[in-house]
Amino acid sequence: MTFGLPPTETLRDYRIWDSYFTPAFSHPGTDGTRDLIKDIERSMTAIQLGHFEKLCYFAHVGIGTTTDPALENLLGTQPQLVLKPLERWPNKLLGMIQLNLQNTKASLEALNQWVKDGPMLGVYFPGSGPGAANCLDPKAIRLVERVSELGGVIMQHTWLKTGGKRSPHESTPIELATLASRYPKQHFLCAHAGGEWEQGIRAVRDTPNVLIETSGFDATAGFIEMATRELGSKRIVFGSHLPSRSMGTELAKIIAAQISEEEKKDILGRNYRKILSGTQSSK
Amino acid sequence: MVAASEGEKLATMPAPPSISPALSMPSRVIDTNVSLFHWPFRRLPLDEVNELCAKFQQLGITEVWAGSFEALLHRDLRTVNERLLRACQNREELIPVGAVNPTLPDWKHDLNLCLGRFGMPGVRLLPGYHGYALGDAVFGELLETATKLGGFVQVVIAMEDTRTQSNSIQAPNVDPRALQQWMKQIPDARVQILNCRPSASDLRTFASIPRLTVDTSRVDGTDGVATLVKAIGIDRVLYGSHSPFLIPEAACIRMIETGIPGAEVKTIMQKNAEHFRNSKNPSPQNQQRQGQ
Repeated sequence: MTFGLPPTETLRDYRIWDSYFTPAFSHPGTDGTRDLIKDIERSMTAIQLGHFEKLCYFAHVGIGTTTDPALENLLGTQPQLVLKPLERWPNKLLGMIQLNLQNTKASLEALNQWVKDGPMLGVYFPGSGPGAANCLDPKAIRLVERVSELGGVIMQHTWLKTGGKRSPHESTPIELATLASRYPKQHFLCAHAGGEWEQGIRAVRDTPNVLIETSGFDATAGFIEMATRELGSKRIVFGSHLPSRSMGTELAKIIAAQISEEEKKDILGRNYRKILSGTQSSK
Repeated sequence: MVAASEGEKLATMPAPPSISPALSMPSRVIDTNVSLFHWPFRRLPLDEVNELCAKFQQLGITEVWAGSFEALLHRDLRTVNERLLRACQNREELIPVGAVNPTLPDWKHDLNLCLGRFGMPGVRLLPGYHGYALGDAVFGELLETATKLGGFVQVVIAMEDTRTQSNSIQAPNVDPRALQQWMKQIPDARVQILNCRPSASDLRTFASIPRLTVDTSRVDGTDGVATLVKAIGIDRVLYGSHSPFLIPEAACIRMIETGIPGAEVKTIMQKNAEHFRNSKNPSPQNQQRQGQ
């Protein structure tokens, strides 16, 4: 072990698939790609050190998920810009699209263009920004149903914050569990396990089609041990939140956890590959 | 499927020089930010001293500056500090850093015990939990007294993310800006900030405060440590993990992920802490920087 990292062979053996890669998450750059590419390059040291096999990022596709009208117009009229990262790193990157829950029509069209007929594997429901809405909002329901028809994966941003929500558009794991219980055949990824994971894990425990994602908060000790105990390792997927979080913070949660090596493999890649397999095979 | 390009070659090529496999842990590594005993709100996987020390040994951490979780809520800090001292006496890698709460009557007694009879090199303050601000006169008095006694002062900005704290006991993040005035007024004062996840504004504040040092425990982002070094100077960054509350490996991995050269890794993980602990005077590099 060097600097806390397992040997290279062990890291390769984990077959790490990152479900939550966030380069230029809020805005890809005024030309549609510059900041996004720059942030992916910025993450390469960590990606190489960790021997990540795949990383999934969440693309803006010109349907109003940023606060920049010029960018939205650019991405809407030049969809080839959206594909640039996937073209540059075809064997490394996977993509999902950010949906605008305030614009159902545009989101449904984007689902057809990017998930049904395009390379994207699922969707991201944001917790903030112009595209956000609470996951129980009726506007979200139609989108959930369409994603489900297409066999895509839903990554829902969640947090349970001390003192309560900062915005009514935020979603909690409790609300996601309520939504997910209505669609038992659809996989929902509970991003950040609610942040305050002791409650987040409990909230989704009885909803087996919800898997928790591990990134987006400090490397608080005991998280993965509790999650594995309460949910089982098959219901946890690794996320890096690179580059705004670090590989140290996010990978350490899994590799240093007091669980078996097989359970680590489940979390670091096996589970994510399994839920993506149906969608990927249709591409 | 789209064709491979130059970018894909980048993704699969050997690691760049900054993460050369030849980079190895310094022979001595000092973790300046550890706490012993039990976190009040849940059990932690490494909250027994022997298990924690075994982890440090596994990671190659050779010296650990240890405070006590008990100091967050206990008022009888003498016994808190005595328990800490006893735990550290059995392990040569553990250096006890006692707690002082300047809102308690006769806090100077605790300070004198820590820096006097107990032989501790410094004290750790928890303003967020103990209910005072760094602009309060009593903090200045404590800093001045600790400096006269030859001790350093660690200021805990936060113990955990404010968004995940208990609904019953919430501690705000500590505002470090008042340190500017005290570090000017007390030229020999040695202060280390612990557990800050610095914003751009925090980085500017830290850079502007003479001699202030900062630990790496919550400096996140894949290049977060490098950004901190660039903002405040290599000589003012000290390795810290905030374990066992945070997973010890996290801060350790970040040291090589950040892309900083091996010599600077050693400076952060060893030399700066040695200098901070042993010297009452700012390093020559910092004196030069402050003069610019």
